[in-house]
Amino acid sequence: MKKRYRLSYFIVQAVKSLWRNGVMSFASIAVLMSCLVVMGGFALLVKNINVNLENLNMMNQIVAFCHPDATEEEIVAVGDEIAALDGVESVVRITKAEGLEKMKEQAGEYQDLYSDINDENNPLSDSFEITYKSEEDVTSLQYSLSHMEGVRKVNARVDLAKSILKFKNSIQWIFIWFLVILFVVTIFIIINTIKLALHSRRHEISVMRYVGATGWFITLPFIFEGIIIGLVASAIAYFVEIFAYSYISKSLVSGLEMIKLIPFSEINVPVLLQFLAVGVITGVVGSCISIWKYLKS
Amino acid sequence: MIEFRNVKKHYPNGTVALDGVDLRVEDGEFVFIVGRSGAGKTTMMKLLLREEKASSGEIIVGDYNLTKLRNYKVPYYRRELGVVFQDFRLFKDKTVYENVAFAMQVVGTPTKLIKRRVPAILNTVNLPDKGKNFPSELSGGEQQRVALARALANNPKIIIADEPTGNIDPKMSIEIMNLLMKINKLGKTVIVVTHEKALVDYYKQRVVMLRDGKIIEDRVGGMFK
Repeated sequence: MKKRYRLSYFIVQAVKSLWRNGVMSFASIAVLMSCLVVMGGFALLVKNINVNLENLNMMNQIVAFCHPDATEEEIVAVGDEIAALDGVESVVRITKAEGLEKMKEQAGEYQDLYSDINDENNPLSDSFEITYKSEEDVTSLQYSLSHMEGVRKVNARVDLAKSILKFKNSIQWIFIWFLVILFVVTIFIIINTIKLALHSRRHEISVMRYVGATGWFITLPFIFEGIIIGLVASAIAYFVEIFAYSYISKSLVSGLEMIKLIPFSEINVPVLLQFLAVGVITGVVGSCISIWKYLKS
Repeated sequence: MIEFRNVKKHYPNGTVALDGVDLRVEDGEFVFIVGRSGAGKTTMMKLLLREEKASSGEIIVGDYNLTKLRNYKVPYYRRELGVVFQDFRLFKDKTVYENVAFAMQVVGTPTKLIKRRVPAILNTVNLPDKGKNFPSELSGGEQQRVALARALANNPKIIIADEPTGNIDPKMSIEIMNLLMKINKLGKTVIVVTHEKALVDYYKQRVVMLRDGKIIEDRVGGMFK
């Protein structure tokens, strides 16, 4: 006789059990959801800091601007001279037309402000983005560039970039510790939720054992319980994150125009997938620890 | 066939629950295991159900050597047994039909077969019309019959009944015992652990008497002394 187990049986058992232990199930979902929102918020913050630093050309880059009336030959000569300097990793020329395009891109929805500027009245000058090999070279590079013929201005916001990175790294550690603590609390709550579920079904489990149910048959509903907790928490966290992110985006756009936030539509899929993965894994780990402890006892 | 070969069971606190038990039960036999509290009946049950392992000796049940049986194989071994408890252990929130069907669901029996088999088993235990009732709507004797039906659900070769009449009145006890006799006549090995002298003496089956973890008497048609 072919043995058949229905997936629906395990899912129904899991849902019933979650319903029976409503308060603990709610607590597990709420705490896991909070963890995911904090984790997502932190990840988005770090990502946005990185993108903004790149946009501001602050990541180990120096920008040298040529004179606006410099000829093509002079500009090429400046480029060659820069490339020959010690400590230069790479040099990229940005023509004034490209510079204008970049400014328009960064302006986002305010691009119209630049509509009157064209190639003829473009006030920008050609520039060179210089990536340096090591921070030790920055001072000497800055000095050489500022004294180079044909170079009007040198932008090297190394100190600012360093402080932003330092800020990013320090909040990174605070958030990591905060998250570790939150996840430990979440797993602890899930363990207790499943423990309650196991306790309320101990009679049923003992009968299952006597009639020959395998360990998998007994434990699967509890693992599904963990999965459901993870899925529900991830879904709620995703919507909370959308709401919070769009709220913050609106506030920042109206307040600080120099900060550009990545549109949520560009990152929604990875955020959702990461939430689901972390949520489900946490739920399953919590369930497994609880079941393992129960079966061992 | 069930065989205990010089089985000993000691607990860490020093209690000797079974002390060199030798017993052989052939297929299709009916055996009463009797004795006072602490005689070793419960330990014998636990060893037979492979809830615990013997400290020494060997226990063979059919093709299974319980002393060497790995934990992951225990569920498959237990499918060869049907167990009835003194306290019935029925699910109050499930109907009689669902209680019996449950035993088949957990071993993965197809629904079609469950639908065909459960009414037949309920008929065997004389409860053909009680499928839709909940346990709370039944008498103690009827509840024990449901437990018996559940024990029979997976068509086991051996039925183990632990004090099956302990929670029911004498009239119902006779009914349950008659059912166990009927099941035995269908070819199943039946082991009844009890301390009810009157029943043991009435049915005149093989009686294995335990005292202080040892078999002190094993006689066909015996009496509970």
